[in-house]
Amino acid sequence: MLIKRLLLLIPLVLVVFLLQSFFWVPTYENQAAGNPNRLVTYIEGSSGDAKILNPILNADSASANIVNHVFEGLLDLDEHLNLRGRLAVDWAITEQAYLLVNAHHRFPDGQEVNGTSLLQRLSQALQAGVLRDMPEMLQPLALLPASQRTEQVSLLKVDEKGKPHVVEVPVTVQVPERIVFSLKQVDQDLFERLIPVLGERYGDQFSYADWIHPQKAVAPEDEELLREKYPEILPVAEHNPTIVFHLRQGVKFHDGHIFDAGDVKFTYESIMNPKNLSPRTPDFEPIKTVEIIDPLTVKIVYKRLYSPAINAWTMGILPEHVLHAEALNREKQERGLSEAAQQTFGMRDSQFNRRPLGTGRFQFVEWQGDEYIHLRRFEDYWEEPAQYHEYFMRIIPDLLTQEVEFRTGAVDFYGALPHQVARYKEDPTYQSFSSLGFAYTYIGYNNRKPLFASREVRTALGMAINVQEITDFLIYGEGERITGPYPQNTEWYNPSIAPIPYDPEGAKALLAHMGWKMNAEGWLEKDGKVFEFTLITNNGNPIRKNILTIAQNAWKRIGVKVNTQVFEWAVFLNDFVNTGDFDAVVLGWSMGIDPDLYQIWHSSQSGPQQLNFVGYHNSKADELIVRIRQEYNRNRQRDLTHELHRVIAEDQPYTFLYAPLSTRVLDKKIVLVERDANGQEHYKKIFPIKSGDITFYFYKWRKLDHTPDF
Amino acid sequence: MQRVILLVIVSFMAHSIIHLAPGEPSEVDPMNPRMKPEDIAKIRAAFHLDDPLYLQYGYWIRDLFTGELKSFKDSQPVLPKIWDRFLNSLPLFVVATLLVWTWAFPTGIYGAVHRGGMYDRFTIFLAYALISIPGFFLSYLVILWVAGWLGVPVISIKTFGMDQAQPVFKMMDRVWHLVIPSLMSALGGVAILSRYVRSQMLEVLGQDYVRTARAKGLEEDTVIYRHALGNALLPFVTMFGFLLPGLIGGSVIFEQIFAWPGLGRLGYEAILSRDFPVIMTLNFMAAVLTLAGTFLSDILYAVVDPRIRLQ
Amino acid sequence: MKTVISAQVATKPSVRADDLPEHETPWQEFVRIYQKDRLALAGFFVLLALLVIAVAGKALTEWWVLFDPEVVRLPDKFFPPLSSPSPDIAASDRPLGGLYLFGTDELGRDVFARMFQGSFVSLSVGFVAVGISLLVGIVLGGFAGYYGQVKLGVMTVDTLIMRFTDAMMCFPTFFLILTAVALLPPSIYTIMFIIGLTSWMGTTRFVRAEFLALREQDYVTAAKALGLPEARIIFRHMVPNALAPVFVSATIGVATAILTESALSFLGFGVPPPYATWGNILSDGKGFIFDAPWLFFIPGLAIFIVVLAFNLVGEGLREALNPKLRRR
Repeated sequence: MLIKRLLLLIPLVLVVFLLQSFFWVPTYENQAAGNPNRLVTYIEGSSGDAKILNPILNADSASANIVNHVFEGLLDLDEHLNLRGRLAVDWAITEQAYLLVNAHHRFPDGQEVNGTSLLQRLSQALQAGVLRDMPEMLQPLALLPASQRTEQVSLLKVDEKGKPHVVEVPVTVQVPERIVFSLKQVDQDLFERLIPVLGERYGDQFSYADWIHPQKAVAPEDEELLREKYPEILPVAEHNPTIVFHLRQGVKFHDGHIFDAGDVKFTYESIMNPKNLSPRTPDFEPIKTVEIIDPLTVKIVYKRLYSPAINAWTMGILPEHVLHAEALNREKQERGLSEAAQQTFGMRDSQFNRRPLGTGRFQFVEWQGDEYIHLRRFEDYWEEPAQYHEYFMRIIPDLLTQEVEFRTGAVDFYGALPHQVARYKEDPTYQSFSSLGFAYTYIGYNNRKPLFASREVRTALGMAINVQEITDFLIYGEGERITGPYPQNTEWYNPSIAPIPYDPEGAKALLAHMGWKMNAEGWLEKDGKVFEFTLITNNGNPIRKNILTIAQNAWKRIGVKVNTQVFEWAVFLNDFVNTGDFDAVVLGWSMGIDPDLYQIWHSSQSGPQQLNFVGYHNSKADELIVRIRQEYNRNRQRDLTHELHRVIAEDQPYTFLYAPLSTRVLDKKIVLVERDANGQEHYKKIFPIKSGDITFYFYKWRKLDHTPDF
Repeated sequence: MQRVILLVIVSFMAHSIIHLAPGEPSEVDPMNPRMKPEDIAKIRAAFHLDDPLYLQYGYWIRDLFTGELKSFKDSQPVLPKIWDRFLNSLPLFVVATLLVWTWAFPTGIYGAVHRGGMYDRFTIFLAYALISIPGFFLSYLVILWVAGWLGVPVISIKTFGMDQAQPVFKMMDRVWHLVIPSLMSALGGVAILSRYVRSQMLEVLGQDYVRTARAKGLEEDTVIYRHALGNALLPFVTMFGFLLPGLIGGSVIFEQIFAWPGLGRLGYEAILSRDFPVIMTLNFMAAVLTLAGTFLSDILYAVVDPRIRLQ
Repeated sequence: MKTVISAQVATKPSVRADDLPEHETPWQEFVRIYQKDRLALAGFFVLLALLVIAVAGKALTEWWVLFDPEVVRLPDKFFPPLSSPSPDIAASDRPLGGLYLFGTDELGRDVFARMFQGSFVSLSVGFVAVGISLLVGIVLGGFAGYYGQVKLGVMTVDTLIMRFTDAMMCFPTFFLILTAVALLPPSIYTIMFIIGLTSWMGTTRFVRAEFLALREQDYVTAAKALGLPEARIIFRHMVPNALAPVFVSATIGVATAILTESALSFLGFGVPPPYATWGNILSDGKGFIFDAPWLFFIPGLAIFIVVLAFNLVGEGLREALNPKLRRR
């Protein structure tokens, strides 16, 4: 029967055809052996795809990874976490400070204040040296005439459903006469130093309403909001820190175009352009003006004291010649978009984000969505080009298959988990690195809840948890005990503070002291209520989930009844963290290099949607936090952070657990290649720098065909 | 007409399920702690997240049909994105379907003809065993075996770094990468379909006309493959229609494990990042394809079965 | 050769028919046929054992805690099956019998105790989900089948219900489950409901079909003629007769629900802690396949065996209840 034979034959042929393909596929060994290019190709496994390859728009780690290779900032952090010039050769920070002439104020001797008298008195005081600790002046004091400017003020309103929206109000600002100070160094206490001349409370009676005029009628309910913004729009005493960057000459974009100051200004303007919805706006919002002095010099003037602001210039610089308004216009015309779409078309919509172009060490080649991103080294880079010729980021969503690919050598690097790293440590084919990063893990208590209101209770809860055991067994020793809110490898961390001890009995005693008595069922009880709460964390992080279980178990042993729940990230944030509707959370922070903790610990930041979601309030801490962010002197800043660290550690608003070491595994054949004066190559073992990063010298990495001995 | 109304209902359901649920697009949850509430409100406004639901629905439908629907995640147009992934998923789907349909028939027919025999009982057991293993459990075992013992790549759609290879090698390489994921996703289908074929065959073999044919002294093969098979096949024709929605569903788990850049993963990641336009469009397209599928199967049925007339 | 075999097939039924005792009740007949299917019988016993294990699991891990699945013993992490706890573990924390029967997991919890507890949870996820799907399916199917012709405005009840069923079927099930589970607050009940509420469409369809057929049957007509209340006709006379196929699909439905739960766990949307299910033990264990393979294989095999048992029992029922196939 033909049909019968066909029914048997077709599946057979199909299967044979499919299976024979096996013989055409190179085995892992052949791939490595028969291919010298493999040695100069670096393949990194990533579990998620990049979203948007644009330094001013990206917000996820996979995109950041690629963007850092393709783009380059004015500055970066060197081995010792100090700022280092990249596209900028050097820079200088000075300050312009302004003091408005407040005609409603009187000098201590009762004389009325006006422009000339103010200038005169201040100049005299300066020359006489009556003012203590005044910073050096670059130019003599001057009186600026009155002027006028207009600006847009954004008011955040909440409608009756609780949804926030923004109202823009254009205002005309009459700027009165001002005294200008040109300081060689930034000084946050400048105006306090002037008190002997000005008298106390110089700015108190300044009548903003005389000087600030909305251009159109403001709804009555918005007036209050606008009035709150007055001191921000026209501050009586204003610090304007100023940075002048000298740019590197002859740096080329990947298309050969020469980089200049215009690109810096363009990048800033793109961030601030509301159409682009850039997540970087908060970092650049303190900037008042960006001024091109000549093609290789830019002057950046800030609106107020904010010392971390300079770190923002480590962000990659965009090519103006590819993205300027005309180019974007051309693109939207070519794409044939509708009216409505053309209206909202911004940089976010541009195809540039899928094929970026910068000045970095690697240039973009190809991006296959959810498959890989391919970069190639840029031969015209201003420093020596990278040793690797090709760079791939392969997207492999599953952690287990990532490991399989790594073991077979198809991937050079992947984000190994602690237990995997522990396994590779004994393996002679691999080198592994553990180094402190900027992250830490903690249990945060909702300080607003009566249950956690007392510092003793929070301390007792912390004492019940054996952090040493967690770091030893859960993360295989890949973590360091921490005591406070700063990364341990920065100078902001105060090493003199001792961690709270692991002492369940002590914890019980402390709780007993607070009135919590053991009841018949073995739970602590006070006023007829059992000590019970819910500990939550987000889904997708196995280690946090395990800490949840460990903490639950540890607290059970001292008689505290804990329920645990795990929520998907979006739900976790929206329903619990942002609303403050939780008891305790297991979470982690990934800190920046700057010592500013305003968002996380300042009491003004404890509203809904804000990051001080545990509701920490301490006026001492508030004061320190503000001083830290206004301090430009590193030594003074360090003293302040050590103090802040101590205050927070005493309060125990979190149980600070540990800072995970970032753990990485690489084939031993991958080394640092250095060339001496004779052009002779030397191999060095890869090492992490102070930030914990091993890829700082990535451009010197190469894979050898043999395992070197160090 | 009814179908169009149904489609509107479905699209409306797809829209409201997603918007009523908690969670927001990840772009709205900024990574940067310094983001001000003013800025977040602006982003929400740009995504129309604060408009009433019916307006959001309107925007979605308008953008969908003008082809200007943008993903929240990366602001790229949704339709080309889906199309790219569709092309990636397609070969996997085609090979898996081929495997299912070519294997299920011989297995099922043989089982029916030799009902109760060793072979039949063995295939029944095997079929049930195959649909009883959690798919990802089996896949991991196979991956570990192939990568560990055979030393050959299985993951993703092609071997990395084969750009310089000859075209034949490249093609065969792609075929090889198809084999295991498609086999994994076909196993369940083979098991189910072959059981179905078997019971259909049994049914038909018990009917009078088959007995008559046998009584006429026709050869057993002729009876089975000419008389019985044709009739037993009728219901399967309609199943072709139901294959259509499978095109868009993709297989989330297998694409996830085998790092296959297909539609299933696109959908899964869209769900994780609350990329509403992508989720809704995928759901909507799946609904369209299902409807088209039922329509197609009605037509096919009418074509093969003369007793039924299209109304 | 072929002819011999086919002759067997042809003659066998008649031989069986001769054996049939005349007075056999349907139940006896069902039992006799079912017993012949050894696989189904084996599956039946596995399920019976499982039921006992699950109830015992609930009792011994939660009511009288003989096996505590929640004790964390970090120093004892990744102990292989059949090993004893290390000496520095407090006496109260030692597992029963001083032995980790199935080893320990990444927190040093006793895998046996966890599997034991999980058996109840996994089964209840399966049963509740199927229960929900049956309830919805039978009610909607029954309405569509029995009151199908009643007009509600522009369309009949039947059209309304069946259009809704079609609309639900239009979504690819797994993707729909995934969307719903991801978007709803995570809890074991959500999982049960979602699996249940996305799998009733099949039941609705064939309950409707059965009802359409049954309402034309003589005994229903007779019951109507006697003036019996409709509720009684439906629930006393029609539902039991429509149940056979429902029962088969329910058995297989439980199997599918257990698999679906494990698939959801794999994607990170499974039953959240503190509940241990076989699905989430398996998906947690997959990361440790090289370190502690038992964390992967024990739950994997357990799921496999149980789901297989459900499927085989379902198949056995189908054969035994299918009037067309049974008398040959």
